[in-house]
Amino acid sequence: MDDEDMSCTSGDDYGGYGDEDYYNEADVDAADDVAVTPTHSEEADYECLNVNQVERVFTDGVNSLVSRVPVNEKFARILLEANQWDVEKIVKHFRQDRTEFMRRSHIDARPEPRRKLSATATSIAKGYCSVCAMDGYSELPHLSCGHCFCEHCWKSHIESRLSEGVAARIECMESNCEVYAPAEFVLKIIKSSNALKLKYERFLLRDMVNSHPHLKFCVGNDCQVIIRSTEIKPKRVTCLSCHTSFCVKCGADYHAPTSCDTIRQWMTKCADDSETANYISAHTKDCPQCHSCIEKAGGCNHIQCTRCRHHFCWMCFGDWKSHGSEYYECSRYKENPSVAAEANHVKARRALEKYLHYFERFENHSKSLKMEEELRDKIRKKIDDKVNEHNGTWIDWQYLHKSVSLLTKCRYTLQYTYPFAYYLSAGPRKNLFEYQQAQLEKEVEELAWAVERADGTARGALEAHMHRAEHKRQTLLHDFFF
Amino acid sequence: MSATRRLQKELGDLKNCGVKAYENVECEETNLLKWTVLLLPDKEPYNKGAFKVGITFPVDYPFKPPKVAFETKIYHPNVDEEGKFCLPIVTAENWKPATKTEQVMMALLSLINEPEPNHPIRADVAEEFQKDHKKFMKTAEEHTRKHSEKRPE
Repeated sequence: MDDEDMSCTSGDDYGGYGDEDYYNEADVDAADDVAVTPTHSEEADYECLNVNQVERVFTDGVNSLVSRVPVNEKFARILLEANQWDVEKIVKHFRQDRTEFMRRSHIDARPEPRRKLSATATSIAKGYCSVCAMDGYSELPHLSCGHCFCEHCWKSHIESRLSEGVAARIECMESNCEVYAPAEFVLKIIKSSNALKLKYERFLLRDMVNSHPHLKFCVGNDCQVIIRSTEIKPKRVTCLSCHTSFCVKCGADYHAPTSCDTIRQWMTKCADDSETANYISAHTKDCPQCHSCIEKAGGCNHIQCTRCRHHFCWMCFGDWKSHGSEYYECSRYKENPSVAAEANHVKARRALEKYLHYFERFENHSKSLKMEEELRDKIRKKIDDKVNEHNGTWIDWQYLHKSVSLLTKCRYTLQYTYPFAYYLSAGPRKNLFEYQQAQLEKEVEELAWAVERADGTARGALEAHMHRAEHKRQTLLHDFFF
Repeated sequence: MSATRRLQKELGDLKNCGVKAYENVECEETNLLKWTVLLLPDKEPYNKGAFKVGITFPVDYPFKPPKVAFETKIYHPNVDEEGKFCLPIVTAENWKPATKTEQVMMALLSLINEPEPNHPIRADVAEEFQKDHKKFMKTAEEHTRKHSEKRPE
């Protein structure tokens, strides 16, 4: 993978506006400037890593495991990938139930009946590969389980698994054998094909990063950066390479005060009028454990998530294990279809009205944000004009720029209060939230009014508006987000 | 096509294996990728008839699983009206290139002989199987008599 792409260049996105970075920095300071000191930061603690730096993170993990338990590096990687890089957990299992743990972790094979073992030995002697049904092979590569197959079949197998998106968890080809192929083995088999090698390395990196609780790919288009953060709250990160901002936990647009689960539900709901979304809601559901979107292709209601391997029931979303005779409770619902249908119809209407209330406000603020982008440009031009006319210095007019930045920041939070409120169940907490939301809304609109007419507003008055708006925003985040 | 040799071997093995549970293993004259097998379950209510199973192998067999479905109608909690069923060993996620068609047939046979009502495709049939087993046996037997193939002598 290319290292050169990773260097952080400060891109000049606005065509000719060389002081863009300066403006952006001013954004961050705007809150402090109006004397509202936030008690918590909305920015996550993080660092941006390139592929080589991430490889070092993995190597450090492997080294720390290898120094604690008797396992070699290639198996250490498999163990760490399967156990969220939790060295302590692996060490504990090594002490408690090492044999079973190594089998469960797909490193050691489960014992086989003697009859099968002797059959395997006979075919190895003939150089026989049972996958292509040919013999006379001088070499039959195998994993720790000893199941031998020819190199050509191994390669086809790896290619086939890669086409399904499987990389870190490629299993042995033998029926019922669950041993995983270490990267070292896979790379040796596919060494002659550069395309396969690149594909495997890309997918393996993806699997390794996804399995690591502190790593996340930057969501920017074609961005290779990997964010490393130990943040637990859905705070904001900004990629130093492509400048994309997103939530450190879920990768969506930053969405305080709303939680990741809620915003995900909300965004799916909002996309509802598109045909794709209709299809998605009609034919897919999210895995109850890892929230991957799953499309049911067959009739069987016992679903296993291909990503996290969780078994669940398509109908009731319960864990499949706990699912004996209770199954029929999920289909029993339609006992009185006409009454149920009527009630559903009324319910659906009311639900739609409620949704539209929140959606319209959410959308409206989103549109206002876009229009205020233009306002920002106008004010920038106004400042330039004033400075050119020797009417004050650039620094003198900074407060105007800061006022738009702060307006954007407050309106952004206000926009994301709507999904939060939509999913909040009625009660004192919701009342308090909606009270604070209304206050923020009022301040944001007053600030917007003042900023648009900044020429006629005295600096002091404008800054008072800024202070109040930011104060309401901080209060709301403090009570409902941090 | 790398599948040819493997398929020829499997076809030969399956024809000569001497297992009584399936017979008439045939492949289309011009297409080695399409087989039919006559399944002979040995448990009631399916032991009165024979059931034709169609197997379609993908071009990249054995690296992708075959598609298996009943061509004969069968009244069973785990088989739908179109003859489709859920058999873990032939799903894309669980498929292993070294798995033989013989193993697939044995797995299918054990599903037919021992229905899994907690893992059904036809919820109505599964409910009948659990709640009113007598009625289920009667319906399934009649269904078998009416729709299934004759058992070879």
